[in-house]
Order: sequence, then C-alpha cells, then structure tokens
Amino acid sequence: MTVLDLYLLLGAGIALAGLMRLLLVSDRFARLIAMNVLGVGSLALLLALAARSAPVDPVLSALVITGLVITVAFTGVGAVLIRRIEGEERGGEP
Amino acid sequence: MSAAETAMGGAVLLPLLAAALLALLPAARRRAVGCGAAVATAGLVLLTVREVSAGRTVEVALGGHRAPLGIALYADGLSALFLAMTAVVGLVVCGYAALVPASTGMRAVAVRDRARATAAAVGRGNPAAGPASRRVRRVRIAPRVPSVRIPEWRGGSGVPGESGEPGGRVRWTASNPGFWPLWLACWAGLNAVFVSGDLFNTYVGLELVGLSAVGLVALGGRGAWEAALRYLFIAVAGSILFLIAAGLIVAATGTLDLRLAAEVVAADQRTHGTALLALVLLTLGLCLKLALMPLHAWLVPAHAGSPSAVSPLMSALVIKASLFVLLRCWIWLVGSGFGDTIGPAAQVAGTDQAAATWLGWVLGALGTLALLAGGLLALRQTRLKPLIAYSTVAQVGYWFLLFPILVDPASATLEDRAVTTLAEASVVPAAIGGAVALALGHGLAKAALFLAAGFLKDRYGTDEIEALHGAGRRHPALVMAIGLATVGLVGLPLSLGFAGKWQLATAAVASGHYWMLAVLVAATLLTAAYLLKVLAALLMDADDSISDLVAAPRGADGGAGGGAGGAADGTAGEGANSGADDGTDGADVATADDAVPAAAQLAPLALGVLTVLTGLAGVWTADLLEVGAPW
Repeated sequence: MTVLDLYLLLGAGIALAGLMRLLLVSDRFARLIAMNVLGVGSLALLLALAARSAPVDPVLSALVITGLVITVAFTGVGAVLIRRIEGEERGGEP
Repeated sequence: MSAAETAMGGAVLLPLLAAALLALLPAARRRAVGCGAAVATAGLVLLTVREVSAGRTVEVALGGHRAPLGIALYADGLSALFLAMTAVVGLVVCGYAALVPASTGMRAVAVRDRARATAAAVGRGNPAAGPASRRVRRVRIAPRVPSVRIPEWRGGSGVPGESGEPGGRVRWTASNPGFWPLWLACWAGLNAVFVSGDLFNTYVGLELVGLSAVGLVALGGRGAWEAALRYLFIAVAGSILFLIAAGLIVAATGTLDLRLAAEVVAADQRTHGTALLALVLLTLGLCLKLALMPLHAWLVPAHAGSPSAVSPLMSALVIKASLFVLLRCWIWLVGSGFGDTIGPAAQVAGTDQAAATWLGWVLGALGTLALLAGGLLALRQTRLKPLIAYSTVAQVGYWFLLFPILVDPASATLEDRAVTTLAEASVVPAAIGGAVALALGHGLAKAALFLAAGFLKDRYGTDEIEALHGAGRRHPALVMAIGLATVGLVGLPLSLGFAGKWQLATAAVASGHYWMLAVLVAATLLTAAYLLKVLAALLMDADDSISDLVAAPRGADGGAGGGAGGAADGTAGEGANSGADDGTDGADVATADDAVPAAAQLAPLALGVLTVLTGLAGVWTADLLEVGAPW
C-alpha cells in the first residue's frame, strides 16, 4: 500500500463520516461542520487522485480549488441562516 | 463566432452580469432592469434554440481557451429543449413577480417612524391559520415579548402589525427586491448547466443554481429559513458527491468531456470499474438534489414554504438542472460508454455491466415507489402548496422509469417485439424522448399550478383547501389555469404530458417491461385524484358560513374580511398574536386587493395554455432531441 492509497482511503473515510453525520444529526451547527468535513474528505480524495501522475494533474487541482471556493461560499450562507434562525428563537435581532 | 455561438455564451453571461448589476442597484429600479434582462436572456436562448432546431449543434470555447481548463459550451437537442422550457417559465414568472411584488418574499424592515410604519402596514394576522401551525408557532415564539396591537386599519382585523423585539423593532413586509438578482443568477446557472460541454462547468453551474436557490427559498422570511438551510445541506452533499464522481472520471479517462470520456470507457474495459463507481456516486448525489422518493423529505418545506414567485421556479426549473445532468451522464456514459455490453443480452456480461443494470433497476423501483407513495401523500394534504409539492415528489418518479428501459432495452422473447412498431434500435430513444417530454410538460404545468396557488395564498392569506371553497367563482381564469395544468400533469391527450407518457409506454411495451403500464395507469389515476380534489374544492360553493367568511378577500369585501378578522380576535388574542408574529407561511400576507392584481392570473393561465398546446409540438420536440444525440 502506497502513501497515495492511504490518502485515498483516508479521504473516502472522512467524506463518508461527514456525509453520515450530515444526514443523521439534527443540530444545525453540527450539520454545518459535517458539511465541511465532507468537503475536506472529498478534496483529500481528489488531491490523492491528482497526485498519482508525475506532474500533478492540473484538472483535478482546478476541481479542488473550485470546490474549496464553493464550500466556503455555502458555509458562509449556512452560517448566516443559522444565526438568523437561532437569533429568532432566542427572540433577538434577526 | 457565429451569431448562435455568441447567443449561447450570452445566455449564460448576460443573466450573470445582470444579477451582479441588480445587486448594486437600488431596490426601486430592480424590477424594470430585471425584466429587461430576462427578456434579453430569453431572446438569446431563442437564437440558440433556433440554430439547434435547424439540425446543428452549437459549440463554443469561451475566450478561445479549450477544455479541460477553459470553458467549453456545447448545445445539442437535449440542451435546447431544457433551455427553451427554462426561458418560457422564467419569463412568465418574471412577469408575475413584476405584477405582484408581494409574491417575491418577505422583508424585515427596521421600524423608525411609527406613523409611517403603520401606514405601510399590510393587513396582518391570518384567521384561517390551521391549528397545527398555530401550535408550532406558539412554541417557537414563547419567550418573546408580547406584540403591540395597532388599531384597525383599512377594514382590517386590528391584529398587531409588528412584533416587539428586544433588539429593536422589526416589521415584516411583503415584497423582497432580493428576488431579482437571485433569480437571474439562478437562471445563469441553469443555462450554464444546460449548455455545459464538460463536467467541470456542469459542477460550477449546479453550485450556482444551488446557492441562488437557497437564497430564493430564504426570501420567504423567518419560516422559510429552516427549509432553506435544510435545502442548502442537501444541495451541498449532492454536489460534493458529483464532484467526487467527476474527479473519478477524470482519473480514469483523463478527460472531463463526457463525450470523450464515454469513448474511452467504451474502448477500455479496465476503466469500467471506476466509471461505475463514479456513476453510482453521481447518481446518488443528483437523486438527493432531485428528491427521489426516500430522499425527498427536504423538498416539501422548501418548495411549499417559498414565496409565490419562487415556488414555480424551484419546482419547474431548479430540480430539472439535476435531472438534465443525470440524463446526460446516463445516456452518454451508460448508453454509449458501456455500449452493447450492457443488459442480459450482452455477450460479455462482466460484473460492472451487471452492476450498472442493477443500478438502473433500483432507480426504476424507486421511481415507482415515488409515483405511488408520493401520489398517496399528495392526496392526504389539506393545504394547496404542500399538495403541489408532494405532486412534484410523485412526478419525479416518471423520469426514473426511463432507467430500466435504458439498461434493459431488449425484450426477452421475440413475440413481444412484434407487439409494437418500434424497431429495436428506437426503443431507447423513444423512452428518453418520453421522459424528456414528461419533464418539460411537468415544468410548464407545475409552474402554472404553483403560480395559481401562490396567487390564491397571497390574495386570501391561506392555502387551506377547505378555506378556498368557492374561490373559482371569483377567479374563473385561475381555475381554468389549474384545470389546464391538471390536463398536462395527468397526461390527457393533446398535452405534452400525454405525448411523453405515450412514448414511454410504447417503449416499455417494446422492451417487454409490461409492469410499467400498470405503474403508469396507477400514477395517472392518483394524479387525477389529488388534482381533481383541488379543482372540485375551488369550483364548489362554500357550504357553510365559516368558510365563506374565510374565503372573502380583505380588500374587495371589507365587511366580510373584517368579520373574519373579528372572529379570529374573538377566538383568542393569543392566536392573533401568533399569526402576527409569524413572518411567513402566508400567515400575514392577507394583502389588499391592489397588491395582488387580477391581471396576475394571466401568468398561470398562459402557462396552462402552453402545457396543452405544446403537445401539438410533439414532433418538433422529438426531432430536436435527435440533434447531436449519441444514438
């Protein structure tokens, strides 16, 4: 088993753990974190795939960067929504 | 670049630029600019579709950069059909949103000037709010400071118009100008998905659609935020699975272009394992976004809780983006990639092919489950928008009936083939044509239904079917629209839904899938049952005084409206408070007559008419689908 195989397995494991948590937990913030864990797992998986060729595959790297940007955007929107919902519940400012 | 190529690039870039511009414009100007951009986008789409319908696929590499890292656009018949449907529904919904700004959502406004705020208040409090929703609200608002009651206004109910908030006074008013930039960004994303030439751009387009759709749902105000958040999680999970699948396809085939990838997969047996894993992952991810039956729980709150102008977009268009990608991947990868080696008739029946066949059957079974269980759930709903949302859950099942035919197109016995006139080679195209026609017909009909439901909800402040008894007498055009949409969804002759169902049934018989006929008949009966339940309620006169009061519009019939409000006040001050405290769910959008002009009924009516008329264009649709098709 090479290092890359290890990273592939690790990425798949992290992604699976994140996905399970995302689908099963009900706490909003925990779901947001799980979403990011899923994102990290998938990106690790893609990077491990990219590193298999001698010069690292630029297409897969581009996918990873795009995935990062998009996950950040979604996390921001999710955090704002959670703040608003929980602010409402506590009777504070929306 | 030819005119068509420019138009195709423009159909993606123009709405995107317009969205950015609209976000900077002051709220008052957004409506006009937004409508202008929508018309321009539709024009560009028309140019592209015309080129494709002349039998030529349109290809362009933006800025001269080639795929994989450049942005390559590619439009074939399948793209053109979805582009056209999006443009039609998008334009009509834009028109509706422009006519009825109240349908674009709820907005929190900080209250500074007490007098001005009171004058701007819309009638609040919903006497018809169901007991269940009231109970929920009471729990949620329990720790709050009680609301301040304002005096009667405009024959209204004297229900409090604002909620006391420790952090400052905030009032929820109908209409949210955020609709315009979000919708145009969503449209740009949809067009990007439909003309994407490779998986990378498809991924970016899907994410743009997802992000803007979350924003659109959240426009519904407080009650919609929870649904929007839930939708966000599902959308992200689905996209990440798709991203992993795209990565696997690149790793196995060295290309993101689905057509090239399919060629590599077809030529090289060793890639089949990876391609199959990618297929499983992207199917799972897209089924999450499509709300296929066991994964459907997020759809109903998101689609039913959205503002009136957003629900039709979500149901008719946003889920179609995922369907389009799913069709693309299956038709190219499985249809031509795995090629002849698929199905039991295969000479080389490897495990990967068997697994793909099995996956197709699972999708078909889940589609059947969705059609039957979704239909039954829709039948049980007592409110209009959830009923229509459950109808979407059911109708998704139709599109998945395609997959068993796709993986198993050859009939086992020779006699079966003699039953229909379809040649063996045309079974799969007929099935795909049927599923696509059903999806397009669903888009038009469901948009009409959601617009009509939104109109009623905005006008009467409720979408309880019981409370809307007799609304048909006041709004014949609206009931006509619902009737035409029913014809389309049930699939009665002439409509696009009929053409699709007929093609799918023919393909099912030709490939020996007789069980599918029973499913189609049962689904048709269920669809008819729940939609006729709505139609009957609207056409029937109110049979008791209570529902008559509730159905009365506040503005047009001040006495009755006041009476209804009074009744609500009488039942419990607490009930009135809860109605006022809730910023969404239609609980306090019992807007005055002028906020929901009668002319807005023309929007659902136009879509309803189109639902039926497009059935006449069935041949054109089928021909268009052939352009650039891989079979």
